[in-house]
Amino acid sequence: MADPVLKLRGVCKRFGALEVLKGIDLDVQKGEVVCILGPSGSGKSTLLRCVNLLEPPEEGEILLETQDICKGPGSGTGEQSWELDFVRQRVGMVFQQFNLFPHKTVLENVTMAPEKVLGRSKGEAREKGTALLERVGLGDKLAQYPERLSGGQQQRVAIARALAMEPHVMLFDEVTSALDPELVKEVLDTMRELASEGMTMLVVTHEIGFAKEVGDQVVFMDGGVIVEQGLPSEVLENPKEERTKQFLGLVLDR
Amino acid sequence: MSQFFNQYFNFDVMREHFGEVLVGFLQNLLVFAVAAVLALALGLFLALLRQLPGKKLMPIRFLTIAYIDFFRAVPILIIILMISGGVPFLSFLPQEVRIPHWFGRPDPFWYGVAALVIVYGAFSAEVYRAGIEAVPRGQMEAARSLGMSHFQAMRHVVVPQGVTKIPAPMLNELISLLKDTTLVSVIALSESVLVSREVLSERLNSSSLTLTAIFFVIIILPLARVVDKLIARQQLKVTRGSHIEVA
Repeated sequence: MADPVLKLRGVCKRFGALEVLKGIDLDVQKGEVVCILGPSGSGKSTLLRCVNLLEPPEEGEILLETQDICKGPGSGTGEQSWELDFVRQRVGMVFQQFNLFPHKTVLENVTMAPEKVLGRSKGEAREKGTALLERVGLGDKLAQYPERLSGGQQQRVAIARALAMEPHVMLFDEVTSALDPELVKEVLDTMRELASEGMTMLVVTHEIGFAKEVGDQVVFMDGGVIVEQGLPSEVLENPKEERTKQFLGLVLDR
Repeated sequence: MSQFFNQYFNFDVMREHFGEVLVGFLQNLLVFAVAAVLALALGLFLALLRQLPGKKLMPIRFLTIAYIDFFRAVPILIIILMISGGVPFLSFLPQEVRIPHWFGRPDPFWYGVAALVIVYGAFSAEVYRAGIEAVPRGQMEAARSLGMSHFQAMRHVVVPQGVTKIPAPMLNELISLLKDTTLVSVIALSESVLVSREVLSERLNSSSLTLTAIFFVIIILPLARVVDKLIARQQLKVTRGSHIEVA
């Protein structure tokens, strides 16, 4: 098998005395969709934030396209470093709370980073941004401000904004958790489409159905460790670990 | 009672010295205008220094906080006196800095401006900081996750949103600044208070000071109303829930 796009070995993260990640090993192949499940506080969001160095891990290594991104000076939050540029130009992230820029129009949200970071011309960035927004079904909202959009629409803008940087890997951090139930589907559909086009995706989610259908790999986390991982059919339908069974029982019971 | 009115509201004195006091007041406005622009710029610069990320830049953050705390605590009058009484004797400085006469303004003008900028830079830095810190953390994270540097994220995402939250408190600082321009009278800048005091000692009548006070009220009252309006508008925005982000 080819080298994984993303390879985590013994990743540990602490917040003061609190150990949030206790040695995570994970391989993600190109084009794979990895769904991460687990109760709140299990460290799944922190894991995503480690991968794009919003929270640099204290120990372990994270290899992105065979480059170790945790080594070297200045990978701390907010600082400038070679690793940060390398990671953030290859890894896109979508947040639970959308985090769209409220003072910019929908199109400007999407074109800002390509213009400022990649140095694209305004025309080029707008053309590509428009195409991306059409792709997520928001071609008619270009000049709107985010606050005028529904949560589902906002989240699709956030996906288009991340895609505008042409990432190799996309991270989704509970992107449907803040949405009204009837808006969840449109966001999941967008992600489905993205997956079918071969995007490598790391998806923290509570949508078991999505994980079953789209996931190539399912990871169940609890207490800062990976409890169980494997094919969706194995982990979700035939869990071996007691904790996984318990969690799935609770989630599917709803 | 008529004695009281004669002392403070002698219209003859006001009329006779109206011109001088007005010219003095224009001097206040000029000091204010120059100091306000520079203080707002310095304040933003200090606020940005204070927000610099990472462990390595801790000394810079620390020094910035020390500056801001110190100059918010020291009376402006002391700063004015220390600059006008000290800078002229710092012989390592070039002549045009020690005794500045830029743009045809006398040296007390520039000493006063310098003192006000140093102090109000510190005050406005705190106002900017309140605005910057009111922007949800997710905004910085989103910008950073898109590959923007800390500086780019500040410039294009955080600061533009932060400054929309602070016009009211900033205007309050500017009102204080305008009033504090009268302190420059102690180093013999012919602004309205100094002119009025000269009239006072010449005529043994305080009406010129009353006139000066009226000038300030005329300028500042509408500004205070603007502050009220801005606060009301901000309140409306918040209660309407136009900010969707949940912190």
